Amino acid sequence: MLRPTLNELISGMQRTIMDALIPELTSPYAQGQAMSAMGSLALAAGLLESAPAYDAAEIKDLRATFAALKRLGDKHLSTKSGLRGALARAIRAGAKNPPDRRAMEAAMAEFATAVALGHADDSVARQVRGYLGRNLERSLKLLGDSPLIA
Amino acid sequence: MNEHRLTEYLKRRMPDARDHRVVGLKRISGGSSRETYAFDLEWNEGGQTRTLPLIGRRDPTGGLLKTDREREFKVIAAMHRAGLKVPEPLFLELDAGVMDRPFFIMQRAAGRTGMGAFPATEPESTRAKVADDFLSELARLQSLDYRECGLEILDPPKNPEDPARIQAAHWSEVYERDRMGEHYPILTAALAWLNANLVVTDRVVIVHGDYRSGNYLYDDNGIIAMLDWELAHLGDPMEDLGWASMMFWGREELAGGLMEREAFYRLYEQKTGHRVDRKRLFFYQVLGNAKMAVICLSGIRDFVEGRTSDAVMPFLELLIPQLFKDLVNQLRLV
Repeated sequence: MLRPTLNELISGMQRTIMDALIPELTSPYAQGQAMSAMGSLALAAGLLESAPAYDAAEIKDLRATFAALKRLGDKHLSTKSGLRGALARAIRAGAKNPPDRRAMEAAMAEFATAVALGHADDSVARQVRGYLGRNLERSLKLLGDSPLIA
Repeated sequence: MNEHRLTEYLKRRMPDARDHRVVGLKRISGGSSRETYAFDLEWNEGGQTRTLPLIGRRDPTGGLLKTDREREFKVIAAMHRAGLKVPEPLFLELDAGVMDRPFFIMQRAAGRTGMGAFPATEPESTRAKVADDFLSELARLQSLDYRECGLEILDPPKNPEDPARIQAAHWSEVYERDRMGEHYPILTAALAWLNANLVVTDRVVIVHGDYRSGNYLYDDNGIIAMLDWELAHLGDPMEDLGWASMMFWGREELAGGLMEREAFYRLYEQKTGHRVDRKRLFFYQVLGNAKMAVICLSGIRDFVEGRTSDAVMPFLELLIPQLFKDLVNQLRLV
């Protein structure tokens, strides 16, 4: 294994900022930026560890949701809404190797829009809401509740 | 900003003064849409040394918002003339040759500020005074006639449905520009909902555009100055009220960390003499969450593409799930 590992490297850079840089900085703005850079490294370390599982779960869930929508059948997808085309694109994107996640999310955006506008029937809306809820839970778990900035 | 160039500039702008000296120039955080610098200007006048605490706001290389500094300067000047609690704006410089990018200088107000919700650590008496001032200032702002303030530059809406339409369309455009090819189903759906559910205003007022806790300076006696006017425009009075009372600025029951929401709305009605229109308020709270999410995406894009090195920008990613949570609850997307 190559050492330092990415996590060890990030921890080392955090210590460098904390122990070597920040004590030398006189400007509060520069100190704040250095603290933020340290926080970014902590964020990066967390994402390095959690993002692969998050991405895999997202793709699996998107595929499963679109498969469930397909099983509902065309009668639940009005031609007017454009959702049949979105579903076909999503199924194709999910079948690619590697799957085209961006295209699947684009299709999901069309479904979510249809739900928000009341253009999706109850069965479709149930599947879409289920996915959006799980997606949100995963995002909150990955990124957490955060302090306000800006 | 550079001390020497700043001194030379102020000499030109204040020809009657002598011995100009810029003291303690330092960049400060806050006002994320522009680079903000604090300094004191000392000069000699009639044999006496005078000192003025100042703020310089320079256009950023990148960041959260793309806004017009001339417009911001003129709005602050109009608010100052109208007697609102704002720092006095002094000089606007559009020539990028003077300090690399356009900037303006205004007086520096004293006081403290929080980053988001009003700090829970402050005494109850201070919170009550700030809450009252917060709505008094909003009422005063909304009572102003933009024509009398010389603010026709803010593109007056032609129809009562324009304010909602313009805002929904604007933030949809910024989303398309800054999403870097990604798709965010919740945000896409929210923006589509906004564009399909436009509300009609009963009057056109000056809208601050970012009226919230975190954007004022205060002390134990209340608010000293409202800051960050770069998003000011003409629109629906419910827009600032909706933005200020979003869950995002105060996760608990207190709007902006200041006051229980229903009491907040009642006090707004007392101060303005206008009722809170719940349908329009809801629209602007949805718009607020979508707008804040889009602003985060803009900051992230500028960081990713190297237009800003502000180390705070990556943290904007952390704010997005909370905004999406509020949007799905508002629009019953879960």
